Amino acid sequence: MNKKRGFGLLAKQKAAGWAFLTPASLLIFAMSFYPMVRAFITSLQTGPAAKLKWAEPIFKNYTRMVNDKVFLTAMGNTFLYLAIQVPIMLILAILLAQLLNNKDLKFRGLYRTLIFLPCATSLVSYSLIFKTLFAREGLINSILMGLGIIQENVNWLGTSTTAKAVIIIALLWRWTGYNMVFFLAGLQNIEYSVYEAASIDGANGWKTFWHVTVPLLRPVIVMTGIMSINGTLQLFDESVNLTSGGPANATITMSHYIYNNALGQGVANFGYASALSFIVFILVGILAFINLKVGDTRD
Amino acid sequence: MTKKLLALIMALCLVLAATSALAETLTVTAWDNNFNGNALRAAEADYKANVDPDFALDITIGSGSSDVENAVTNAGSSGDYSLLSDIVLFQDRYIKNFVENYPDAWVSLEGADINWDDITAVKQSYSTIDGVHYGAPVDNGTVITAYRVDLLQEAGYTIEDMKGITWDKFLEVGKAVYAKTGKALLSMDGSGNDLPYMMLQAEGVSLWKDGKPFVVGNEKLKRVIEILTEMEKEHVLILANDWTGYTNETIVGDQVAGVINGNWIIPTMTQVTENTGKWQITSMPTLDGGEGYATNGGSSLYITGNCKNVELAKKFLAYTFGGSKQTYDEALRTGGVVTCSISAGQSEVYGEGVAFFNNQPIYKDITEMGSKIIPVEESPFHYVLRGYLGVAMQQIKDGADIDTALKEAEDACLFYMEGMGY
Repeated sequence: MNKKRGFGLLAKQKAAGWAFLTPASLLIFAMSFYPMVRAFITSLQTGPAAKLKWAEPIFKNYTRMVNDKVFLTAMGNTFLYLAIQVPIMLILAILLAQLLNNKDLKFRGLYRTLIFLPCATSLVSYSLIFKTLFAREGLINSILMGLGIIQENVNWLGTSTTAKAVIIIALLWRWTGYNMVFFLAGLQNIEYSVYEAASIDGANGWKTFWHVTVPLLRPVIVMTGIMSINGTLQLFDESVNLTSGGPANATITMSHYIYNNALGQGVANFGYASALSFIVFILVGILAFINLKVGDTRD
Repeated sequence: MTKKLLALIMALCLVLAATSALAETLTVTAWDNNFNGNALRAAEADYKANVDPDFALDITIGSGSSDVENAVTNAGSSGDYSLLSDIVLFQDRYIKNFVENYPDAWVSLEGADINWDDITAVKQSYSTIDGVHYGAPVDNGTVITAYRVDLLQEAGYTIEDMKGITWDKFLEVGKAVYAKTGKALLSMDGSGNDLPYMMLQAEGVSLWKDGKPFVVGNEKLKRVIEILTEMEKEHVLILANDWTGYTNETIVGDQVAGVINGNWIIPTMTQVTENTGKWQITSMPTLDGGEGYATNGGSSLYITGNCKNVELAKKFLAYTFGGSKQTYDEALRTGGVVTCSISAGQSEVYGEGVAFFNNQPIYKDITEMGSKIIPVEESPFHYVLRGYLGVAMQQIKDGADIDTALKEAEDACLFYMEGMGY
C-alpha cells in the first residue's frame, strides 16, 4: 500500500476538525449571516412588504430615525433600564455568589437552586405574573393597603415612573440568579491559597473581596456585563407583556418598537424595522467594545 | 427560538393539511374556537346536509386574530402563498391594505351567488374594493351600549332614560351611579381603544379624511377626547392599562355599570354569571343628543390565491354565510355570532329573549341597529393612529395640553405613513 496516497495523521486530524465544523458553520451562515445580509438590504428599501423598492436617498430609513420621537423615547427608556438595572443586578449577583460560596453555609445547594430558579421560568409567563401582582387590584396593592402604607390602590403599571420601576424589579428578579451562577463558577476557580495569603497579610473580609476576589473575577464581570448589555438592549418580552409599552410609550423598548413597525400594527414597514434593528446591533457592538476595553487586564 | 420552532411546526402542519386535502375539502384558518370556530362548523354542517354530503371543512384555529394576519403578512412579503389555507378569516380593517399590497394573495367573490343588498352597508364598505367584493361576512361588529339596569335604578335612572342622550347627560348619570354604587359607568383600554373611534362614528365623522389622519381640526374628535378626559377625572370612566386590564379587571372584575363595544364583547360580559338578568342594551349616546350607531371589529372570510378549488369555495361561502338561516341560527346559538345578513337576522332564533340581558331580544335589536350605521372613511393605518391617540389620551389625562397632544398623535401617524411611501 502506497503511504503517500493516504493522509498523514495531522491532515487527518485537520480534516476531522473541518468535518465537525462544517455543518454548524453552514447552519450559522444560512440561518444567521444570510438573514443579516438580507436584513441590511431590506433596511435600504421602503414601502409595503410585497412591493419594496430602494429608498431615495438610499439611507433614508436611517436618517429619518432622528425625527422619530417614539424611537427616541424607546431608546431613552432602554438606556434607562440599562443604566439602573445592569449595575444593581451585577453587584447583587457578585454579593450573592460570594455569600453562597461560603463553605460553612448550610443548605447552600438549596439557596443556589432557589436563586437560580427564576431563570427557568418563561419570559412571557413571569411577565404576566408580575403584571397580575402589580395590577390595580393585585397582591402588592393588597399587602401595602393591609400594612397601611398606602391609602388607595396604586396604578403601578399605569403611571410612567412606577411602570418603569416595575420592569426593573422584574428584570432583577429574573436575571440576578442567572448572573450569579457565572460568578459562582468564577469563584470556584480562585485558589483557596490566595485567600490564605491575604489573611496572613492581615486583610479583612471587605479588603479581601475588593482587592482579591473582584480583580480575579474580572473576566467573568466583563462577560456578564456584555451579556447583560446585549440582553437589555434587546429587551422585548417585558415591555410587550408587562406594560404593552405604556402608559403613553413610557416603558416601550427599542425591540418592542421594531416589532410594532414590522408586525404589530397591521401595516408592515419591514424596511424601517430592519434599519432600526441595525442601529440596535451597532449600539450593542459599541457598548461591548467599550466594555472589553475597560475590562482589559493587560497593561 | 420557541416562537420560530412553533412557526415551523405550524407551517409543517399546514403543509400536511394541504397535501391530504380531498377534492371536496376546503381548508380554513380562524382563531377563536368557541366563536368563529363554531360559526364555521355550523356552516359546514349546513352545506353538508343540504348541498353536498361529501363536503368537509378542515379548520385550523390560531391563538389570536393576529396569528392569521401575521401569516398573511409573512406570506405576502415572501411572495409564497403556498402555506395559506384555501380560506382565511381575519378582521375587516385589514383587507384593503392586504389587497393593495398583496393583490395575488386574494380571489374576489365576483360570480358568487350572494345577494349583497341583504348584507348591511357598513359591512360591505370594509371589504369592497373598487366595487369588487372580497369578503364573505361572518360576524357583525355593531356596537352595543349595555347598562346594569339595577345600578342605574339605584341612581334613579332607567334604561329608557339612557336612549338618545348626550354625552354630557351620560357624565351626569355616571356621577350619580358612582356616588351611589361606587362603580364606573364605562371603561376602556387606555393604551389604544376604539371608544373615541366609535363615538365619532356615531356622529358620522371619521378619524380619516382623503386617506390622511383627520385629528387636528377635527372639532368633534376634540370634544370626544375632552368628555372622555372629564369622565375619567370624575370616576365615570376607568382607563385600563391595556386590553386584558379592560376585559379581565373592569368587565369580568365587575367594576363597571356600563359597556360600550362591538357586540363580540358579550361573551366577556356573560362570564360574570351572578349579574344575569341585570343588563340591558341600547344605542350609543351622541355629543348633541339622538341615538348613535357604530360598528367596531367583525371579521370576514377571504378566499386566498392558494385555493385549489375556487368554485367550491365560492359556492360554499355564498350558500352559507351569504345568508343561510340555518348557518346563522346555529352560529348564534353555539357561538354567539351575530349575522350581517338582514334576512337571516329576522329568524325566530334572533327574536328570542336572552336571559342574561333581562330577556331582551338583543340579537334582533343588534341587527336592527347594524342596519342604521353610517359608513365612514376607513384606513389601513387605523391601528397605528389608534395607538397614538391612546398615547395622547394618557398624556392629556396627566395634564398635557389637548391640542399639542393631538397634534403629536397626528404627526406620529403621518411619520409612520410617510415611511411607507404614503
